Amino acid sequence: MTRPLLGLALWGSLLIPRAALGQASVLPGTLVIAVAREAISPVPTLWASDHPSQEVSDLLFLHLADLGPTLSTTDESSFVPRLARRWTRRDPQTLIFELDPRAQWQDGVPVTARDVVFALERARNPNLSPQLAALLGRIDRVTARDNHRVEIHYRLAYAEQLYDAVFHAPPLPAHLLTGVAPESLATAPFRSRPVGNGPYSITRWEPGKILELTANPAFFLGKPGIHRVVFLPSPDPETRVNLMLAGEVDAVENLYSLPNWHRVEALPAFHYYPVPGLGVVYSVFNQRDPADTSRPHPIFTDPVVRQALVQLLDREVLSRAAYGNLTEVPDAPVSAVLGRAITLPPHLAVDTSLSRRHLAASGWLDHDEDGVLDKNGRPLAFALMVPSVSASRMAMAATMQEAWRRAGVRVQVEPVEPPVYVERRNAGRFDLDLYSVIQDPTPSGLAQSWSCAGIGGSNAGYFCDPVVDTLLAQAGRSLTASHRLYQDAVRRLAEDVPAIFLAAPVNSVPVHRRFANVVLRPESFWAAVWQWRILPGAELERDRR
Amino acid sequence: MTTDGWLRQLWLRPAGRVGVILLVVMSLTAAIGPAFLPDPLAQPDLAQGGLRPPDQIHLLGTDYHSRDVMARVVTGARVSLAVAFGAVLLSITLGGMVGLAAGYLGSWIDAALMRLVDAALAIPRLFLLLIMVASMERIPLWLLIVAIGATGWFGTSRLVRAEVRRLRAMDFVRSAEALGATRRRILARHLLPNVLGPLTVATTLAVGDVILLEAGLSFLGLGVQPPTPSWGGMIMENKSFLVTAPWTSLAPGLAIVIAVVAVNLIGESLHQDPAPPLS
Amino acid sequence: MIRWLAGRLLQTLATYALAVTLLFIMMRLTPGDPLAGLSDERPLPAEARELLRRRYRLDQPVLTQYADFLAGALRGDLGVSIAQHGRPVTALIRERLPATLLLGTTALAAMFGIGIAVGVLQATRAGSVTDRVLGILSLTAYATPSFWLGLVLTWALAIEWHWFPVAFMHAPLLDPDAGWWVRLTDLLWHLVLPVTTLTLVSFGAVARYQRAAMLEALGLGAIRTARTKGLRDRSILWHHAWRNSVGPMLALFGLWLPLVVAGSVFVESVYAWPGLGTLAAESIGSRDYPVIMGVAILVSAVVIGGNLLADLLHGWLDPRLRPSQ
Repeated sequence: MTRPLLGLALWGSLLIPRAALGQASVLPGTLVIAVAREAISPVPTLWASDHPSQEVSDLLFLHLADLGPTLSTTDESSFVPRLARRWTRRDPQTLIFELDPRAQWQDGVPVTARDVVFALERARNPNLSPQLAALLGRIDRVTARDNHRVEIHYRLAYAEQLYDAVFHAPPLPAHLLTGVAPESLATAPFRSRPVGNGPYSITRWEPGKILELTANPAFFLGKPGIHRVVFLPSPDPETRVNLMLAGEVDAVENLYSLPNWHRVEALPAFHYYPVPGLGVVYSVFNQRDPADTSRPHPIFTDPVVRQALVQLLDREVLSRAAYGNLTEVPDAPVSAVLGRAITLPPHLAVDTSLSRRHLAASGWLDHDEDGVLDKNGRPLAFALMVPSVSASRMAMAATMQEAWRRAGVRVQVEPVEPPVYVERRNAGRFDLDLYSVIQDPTPSGLAQSWSCAGIGGSNAGYFCDPVVDTLLAQAGRSLTASHRLYQDAVRRLAEDVPAIFLAAPVNSVPVHRRFANVVLRPESFWAAVWQWRILPGAELERDRR
Repeated sequence: MTTDGWLRQLWLRPAGRVGVILLVVMSLTAAIGPAFLPDPLAQPDLAQGGLRPPDQIHLLGTDYHSRDVMARVVTGARVSLAVAFGAVLLSITLGGMVGLAAGYLGSWIDAALMRLVDAALAIPRLFLLLIMVASMERIPLWLLIVAIGATGWFGTSRLVRAEVRRLRAMDFVRSAEALGATRRRILARHLLPNVLGPLTVATTLAVGDVILLEAGLSFLGLGVQPPTPSWGGMIMENKSFLVTAPWTSLAPGLAIVIAVVAVNLIGESLHQDPAPPLS
Repeated sequence: MIRWLAGRLLQTLATYALAVTLLFIMMRLTPGDPLAGLSDERPLPAEARELLRRRYRLDQPVLTQYADFLAGALRGDLGVSIAQHGRPVTALIRERLPATLLLGTTALAAMFGIGIAVGVLQATRAGSVTDRVLGILSLTAYATPSFWLGLVLTWALAIEWHWFPVAFMHAPLLDPDAGWWVRLTDLLWHLVLPVTTLTLVSFGAVARYQRAAMLEALGLGAIRTARTKGLRDRSILWHHAWRNSVGPMLALFGLWLPLVVAGSVFVESVYAWPGLGTLAAESIGSRDYPVIMGVAILVSAVVIGGNLLADLLHGWLDPRLRPSQ
């Protein structure tokens, strides 16, 4: 029930008639955002993903179309036109995009079909970007029909054709980048002074200090209502809180811990916008022996044990204490955004006595009376590997450890540095981990982590169910039933309890109250800033310059 | 000086007495205190939320996980004091020996030892620690102590060497040499007692350093393994509640300060120049 | 003397070479995947990993990589950062070094200035109440974690009383074309809290060593002789006693000198100070090998150079230690 309401709250602000606010805004206006990390390369590099870079890049480079308010990746009518004015389907395997003739690069050159072809060709080149190339594998060829029309031919008819074409690779200025090899983009002048086609351009960048964007007055979708957007890197979450308390920033990207949030939630100057996240946090049961991954895991191969371990935890309390009251507790690897498209399986509620009975029935009893359950002389003991620098996950681990300890399960928390965490996870050298992953808004990415083929890659827990594989494959090929098939796959997967699904965080983003028409996009918070306005009469000193 | 002698000297000076009493009380509390306190790991009212201010049940309040802060500080003393004294003893001994040898023996021994120390100082301590503990998936306490101690003496050895070089040039050492005193005698009788000054300072400062270093290490997952409480670890995990729930980190912070001050008082009473003061 | 100097310089270079080699070996022995941070919490498929390993030459034998690094470093090319998507390491260091240099030198000057003054004051009044109080205060400050003190100072002086800015090196929205006077005062204004934090948490060490060294010196025969000769107290204090204590202080200075380039991670982080310390910590934390080596050869040079300098200065200030004798 909370989900549709959240959606309304989030997108309702779009309904405010833009004219009413837009005309009144004659002041320049400044939005100051404190971010944890600075952008590395605010240009779609195509081969390495970096969230801070993407957030800046989305203000400089428009996509052909954006996801609509429902965030549906299959409902073509819900997409919002951006660089493409419209698209038509010639046949089930061909889409034709017609570019908005008003669109131009900030150097005055019009955006043409060639730019679209250029970007998609790079994205589909497996030697440049194996990651994107795999995601875009169903695109067969991209051709420019004329200056303003692009034809994309797909290998098969499937539901997410439009999404694939518009989401991953925004058009790039072919006339400027043809001579620049993608891997040398990092040293090219284009990196720090990119020429985009979006509502903003970079006017000042002092690395480590400030990244300032200024509105592009010639932006073809309308003059941005906020003249300046300033990103200030401040790595310490406490510093970001302090900046809010001192009134030096207008928005903060990530407050991290709930206690930080408590410090600022009463500040009258800020409004808190709930934004469903793309992340999902879960502990994967390694179903192979970490000492020898060709053998089954001595404890976790038994699904009864896995389910009992889940039901010993009060996941609501656990997750909300770490990620805030809005956080959802899924029973599948489904982020808050994805959760809108997929109805989740029934919830495994906390039930300590049931879990104890199940463990006992499985042979796990405290035979030697040392306080730890055992079976055939082996104690019910394992390690929980956690990235040490993640405060929220470390806090969760402490709570999980204690809850299990009370039930006679001995858990060793193993905090490790992130590079070690990833190394060990990829090699299968762990019992149970505490993973946090960002998903695209489509369920199609689930195959990477939950198919038999993903073993050796990102399927770290060796979960393998041919039925799930089949369902996922069918969903990817289906034109009409894809969501139902994904849903079946997720439900089937969840029944096996391959992991402890802990949190699908919903962010609560503070934004100063003088901003109206505020829309925060889940996939890129600030991408709609050009549509924001400052409430007349509420300007601050920093808005006037 | 006999053992009896310096113990008496320590006890006779008021500062020394206060230091000894502080340390003994701390150690005793750490040893038997936990028996009278709540379970330091228990999270009794997680659902209602932690961070309760001090009251009659929780004398020092509770932390974020609703664990009793007092129980954690007292239990944490075991690990923190063990790490602090074990590691500091090791590093001071190593640093003192290398510094004495380099400063007194001079020539190529000095050059070789000091260049090695230079090279070691030039490598971030974090790497040295990582190399020593990273092969272990679970880090036992003794290894942590050895790793911290074995990587913490380089600076001390340079300071001791500087002091020894200064002393060597002094009249009393020169006259002892001229009188034909053996190297061992000069080292033990003339140099060692006189480098106790910088060594005492190094010890006091290192006690605080090491406790805080353990905090930094636990941040990287290389310190005392959770949920075992340690003072440094507590300060680290409670750093975002400094303003909203100050009791969570003030208590371990004060414990560190008291330990450091106690060591300092003892050190100063021990090393106080036996010669009568000026004028 | 010249021969000794030449020999010492040669030793120093050999030490430097040894340190750099050890660093490289230790870095590579440390577990951890340098590609871990590149996928930004998204799964990184095996083919992508292979491609990136080739791109950053991680697939080469370690010896080849070491040779490449040395050859590059001699040409002034420190390679490219992995975590920063191929940006040149020299550019990263150039961006970050000025902020750290500024903060480091200011803090070093303050901590030694205050530390020496406090230590000397304590030594001349050894055993008095002033000595005791100053001793406990400086020890307490020394035992305080820097991030903790930073947060408290910010909370009191920046948030509650608005005396100083919360963070950053400049007021972010200050007009870049403002006059030099405006920019200078703005910079100094932002420097106050970070320098105060660094100084407070570290001057205690200087004061403790200074006090001990000074007490040692005051007990020496030379001072007593000077006294009997009727020299003025102040002159005895600085010309005889302090000069006698300078050796250990110089050694201490040599040990702290790296602060100037390595910075303090916690202080930089709390005040969002755009320095090298955070870059160094991040590069170790992400196993960004080229950046680690780039920062490390800089810091090692200062460590080893600082110790050489301390030794030379010690000999210069205290003629009895000159090797010719």
